[in-house]
Amino acid sequence: MNYESKNNNMSSSPEEKVINAIDTKDLKLNKEIKFEPSANYTPSNKTSVTKLESKNLHLYYGDFHALKGISMAMLQNTVTAFIGPSGCGKSTFLRTLNRMNDLIEGVKIEGNILIDSKDIYNSRDLNIDELRKRVGMVFQKPNPFPKSIFENVAYGLRVNGITHKKFIEERVERSLKQAALWEEVKDKLKKSAFELSGGQQQRLCIARALAIEPSILLMDEPASALDPISTAKIEELIYELKSLYTIVIVTHNMQQAGRVSDRTAFFYLGELVEFDDTKKIFTNPADVRTQNYITGRFG
Amino acid sequence: MQYAEKKRLKQNFAFGTLRVLSYSVLVILIIILGFIVLNGFSVLSWEFLTAMPEDGMTKGGIFPALIGTLCLMAGSMIIAFPVGVMSGIYMNEYMRDGFFKRFINVMTNNLAGIPSIVFGLFGMEFFVNKLGWGDSIIAGSFTLGLLALPVVIRVTEEALKAVSKNFREASFALGASKWQTTSKVVLPIALPNIVTGLILSMSRVSGETAPILFTVAAYFLPKLPSSIFDQVMALPYHLYVISTSGTNIEASRPMAYGTALVLILLVLTLNLLANALRRYLGKKVKMN
Repeated sequence: MNYESKNNNMSSSPEEKVINAIDTKDLKLNKEIKFEPSANYTPSNKTSVTKLESKNLHLYYGDFHALKGISMAMLQNTVTAFIGPSGCGKSTFLRTLNRMNDLIEGVKIEGNILIDSKDIYNSRDLNIDELRKRVGMVFQKPNPFPKSIFENVAYGLRVNGITHKKFIEERVERSLKQAALWEEVKDKLKKSAFELSGGQQQRLCIARALAIEPSILLMDEPASALDPISTAKIEELIYELKSLYTIVIVTHNMQQAGRVSDRTAFFYLGELVEFDDTKKIFTNPADVRTQNYITGRFG
Repeated sequence: MQYAEKKRLKQNFAFGTLRVLSYSVLVILIIILGFIVLNGFSVLSWEFLTAMPEDGMTKGGIFPALIGTLCLMAGSMIIAFPVGVMSGIYMNEYMRDGFFKRFINVMTNNLAGIPSIVFGLFGMEFFVNKLGWGDSIIAGSFTLGLLALPVVIRVTEEALKAVSKNFREASFALGASKWQTTSKVVLPIALPNIVTGLILSMSRVSGETAPILFTVAAYFLPKLPSSIFDQVMALPYHLYVISTSGTNIEASRPMAYGTALVLILLVLTLNLLANALRRYLGKKVKMN
């Protein structure tokens, strides 16, 4: 991990120097991707800044009212966990945060989601591709592309218009290091991603998401398909990535929520029942439904 | 009888029946193939493939018919593939579910179900007469291309449907546009299946007789075409001619079996090629 250098001085890291040395004129870049780590890429402890906000959000699948007036705010550089029984709407809500539900036909959404105070559903000038670049996502099942390990991580850069070979190589390496996968794959970057184990594939998917420098990382039960050792690695990773990203994680595993998150939201039947500090939720929940769920009485 | 014993007998009976039936299919296929091979093998030679028919098609070879069939396959491929594959991509990746999409789907299915002789009739009326192309390779290719079109569309759609939505979501989540997702992720994954389907549709086209009957096929034309507006002989029609209305049907019987064998070998080769390509491309997809 290479965070220390960034903590102190951005340009002193050898890695960053190379990136800064590249002539920007050669590159066909979107404005959003900068060579210097962007502001949101700086580790910070500004955990009181609201990064994500949901205001009275309703979602319907056809006639089914799946989310009933969700209002909550997620703070920058914190890990927020969504827990609740299957079908409670936690994954659906997560997918509203990068407008992934737009892909499903028959979905209707009311209310507001604000990211950095900007409404992502009702702003006229919002570009969905740009939004998804800022809000990365890791899925339940590892879903690397049937491409090489290198190309998997490079994909996000390529589709966002980056063509400079050196820059892509640097970024791929850094992302794989951030995802704690570099040591395991550095000698076989050209090999198919399908040759990796499930846990490695999931860390590859995390590296792939990190490569385009999102400021928010959404994780939809990222460890549910993995063995305990791989799960532990992913959890460790989440803890480390917190200093750079605002993380929202959906999990079925309550111990996991307790281990990795700062704040926990309990969803039940499409409602947000309770949202508080993780410690409070697990030791002294205010709502009896939360109490019943965390003590294993249902779910 | 013990229940466990009964259960075992039942299972043996079920699997036994299934086994006998599937083996009988294999036997029938082998009998047909063996029949053609035994009768046609004796005439099969390099000369048979490369010589003109002689003596009222009782001697010589099938060269013009073979070339004619290859021309028609190439021609119909040029017409059906681009249009069919692109329509398939559009319908599966871009079109929203709704009345229009359902309508097109129903029409495509109907088109696939129309007897090929009807295509032949349409081809004659439209391409040969109305457009004035006459009996020609281009008229025959368009007719065969139309016949193959619904198959090509369906094959493409099925191949794209088989691509897991996980890959699409992963791509969108990285800020890729729909077209980038389609072209860089979905199509490469679907490609092996699309290619296989296309080759199989070609092998089907190669054996069609009815659509070329009124649009291109010549009864006897012992020379090669010089342009796409020429008539050609074609294997399936040639087989029909020498089996039913040749000058001396008895004498041309071996030629008929030889022609049938060549046609079967052509189809077999295409199918093997399709399999090999799917395996090769399947491996390649994982790497890129």
